[in-house]
Amino acid sequence: MPRWGGILSVFIGAGFLAGALSFASDLRPFIPSEPPTASEQNLAVVVNLSNPIENLSMAELRSLFLGERSHWPNGRRITLVMMEPGQPERAAVLSLICQMNESDFKNHFLHGLFTGEVFVSPKTLATPVGVRKFIFNVPGAIGYLRVTDVDASVKVIRVDERLPEDKGYRLHIPPRPSK
Amino acid sequence: MKVSTLPPSRVLPALELTGWRVRRRILPLLLGSLVTATILQAQQPKPGDVTAPDKQTLQLLLQRIDQLEARVRQLEAERQPAPVVSPAPGPAQRSAPPVNEAEQQAESQAESAVPERMDLSKTLLRLRGFGDITLHGDTRKGNTTAFTLGQLNLFVTSDISEKFKFLSEIVFEGGPDNIYGVTRGEINTFSVDVERYLIQYSYNDYLNVAAGRFHTAIGYYNTAYHHSTWFQTTTGRPLLFQFEDRGGILPVHTVGVSASGLIPSGRLGLHYVAEVGNGRASRSPLTQEPVQNVVDDQNHKAFNLALFARPQTVRGLQVGFSAYRDVLAPINSPRVGETILAAHAIFVRPRFEWLNEAVVVRHAIIGTSQVFTTPGFYTQFSRQLGSYRPYFRYQYINASGTEPVFPDVRLRQGPSAGLRYDASESVALKLQYDYTTLRGRAAINALALQVGFTF
Repeated sequence: MPRWGGILSVFIGAGFLAGALSFASDLRPFIPSEPPTASEQNLAVVVNLSNPIENLSMAELRSLFLGERSHWPNGRRITLVMMEPGQPERAAVLSLICQMNESDFKNHFLHGLFTGEVFVSPKTLATPVGVRKFIFNVPGAIGYLRVTDVDASVKVIRVDERLPEDKGYRLHIPPRPSK
Repeated sequence: MKVSTLPPSRVLPALELTGWRVRRRILPLLLGSLVTATILQAQQPKPGDVTAPDKQTLQLLLQRIDQLEARVRQLEAERQPAPVVSPAPGPAQRSAPPVNEAEQQAESQAESAVPERMDLSKTLLRLRGFGDITLHGDTRKGNTTAFTLGQLNLFVTSDISEKFKFLSEIVFEGGPDNIYGVTRGEINTFSVDVERYLIQYSYNDYLNVAAGRFHTAIGYYNTAYHHSTWFQTTTGRPLLFQFEDRGGILPVHTVGVSASGLIPSGRLGLHYVAEVGNGRASRSPLTQEPVQNVVDDQNHKAFNLALFARPQTVRGLQVGFSAYRDVLAPINSPRVGETILAAHAIFVRPRFEWLNEAVVVRHAIIGTSQVFTTPGFYTQFSRQLGSYRPYFRYQYINASGTEPVFPDVRLRQGPSAGLRYDASESVALKLQYDYTTLRGRAAINALALQVGFTF
């Protein structure tokens, strides 16, 4: 047993050290993305026109996009609309709002559905047109669009009190590749 | 004999005057009539030529059919929605799409919208599977190294309506049950357990109600991980949260009703869970099925209340506690008051996890001063490094040898260390070493290699 005790001490010590280092590194504050350059575009968070919500903090937005909230304050069910994997809009939302990669996001929702904490999984749509029309027709829907894809059929909400055209807005995406 | 009374030359104006649906109904009839007319006309004997059909007429009719088909294609093309102009017009020019058209398109979009990671079927049921296969060996006397088929878990959900949802776990598992140290059942045969079976109602974020069989909200692990090793970092659950039929000491499953939700608390993120259920079986022998699925052996019900906080300021942190109360009523023995207190502090992010939980199980013999207190805890941390996740866990349970409910447990403690390798998005390989010391018995060294997967 003394031999085991030594080995275990090494194991435990190394483990705690690694854990503490990992914990410290994970506690690094989230640094918001840089202000947009001329070539970048902003990503608008959009809801149904009937939704009275005007502003969401980044933390609230994160809760919504991770399925941690299931209802709007007016009692409507939240329907999260995501674009298909591989779309730059989706990648921006995962990175800037969810702070996850694609695999983590999928696992998060799968785990949430498994535990029962997430009531409904997101709806996945292929195109900005599809997103716009879905949100137009589903009162509790929330999604995201490039500012250039927004029209009057959806409502753009403020994020941390800022609209996409405001200085200091934090949701940016690279421009569409030119064809 | 009459054939088509509507000459083909008058079909097109009629099509243009009627609605599209009418056109769609009429067109096949017309085409059918034309074909019929063609056939019948072809069968008409011509003066001077009794057997041969009028080839010229036939050719004309075929040409007419071709023209009509072309016109149908043209009409169908005209019915297609106009391509959407992108980028969108400026604010002054923007206008909402017509409601009917947009609804139809959104419906079709909604139908094509698929839930993340679930199947594509349009039925109410959604099915997901989990499984694992393990090669395991240890130094316990009499144990052999063996390949073991783990639980085959069919996770079934259904969105019954906007507010109601059904969820269940149907688990096929091999091997005998081990209830409080007593082995029961065949060694190498499979049996089926419905491990979770509940209907959920979501009123809002502050009130969600579920009824059926669920995992009791004691601590964190029991509700965060269910019957799938693929989700878990390690090859198995901590001893403290082991299932009832695998030697566990806690009432892991409850059959009853649960209410849960947010407590308005701002950035503190307080949540509550309140449960009432049948509790664990307590009639003799204790080693029967511990979860009272159908009949409760007494009128008294078990209660559990849990509170936890997920502060917005520290993403991934959750701290909480729970209190569980039940009364066990063994035959020919005094009743036993059961109180289970649990506290946890966990920090989970995609790349890092640190789980810490402590539980105290208190069994008090009612009518006497005898009290048996069983403390237990575990700590577990892991760090994701690419596809690899090394992990470490230390666990401890210390039960009295005269404990009235689980006398077999006694002292068990020791570390586990392992490595999880995510071979793909849905397959994980795990290698784990466990060292467990037992009071009054030889320590156990164990090594397990497991492949866990979802499908």
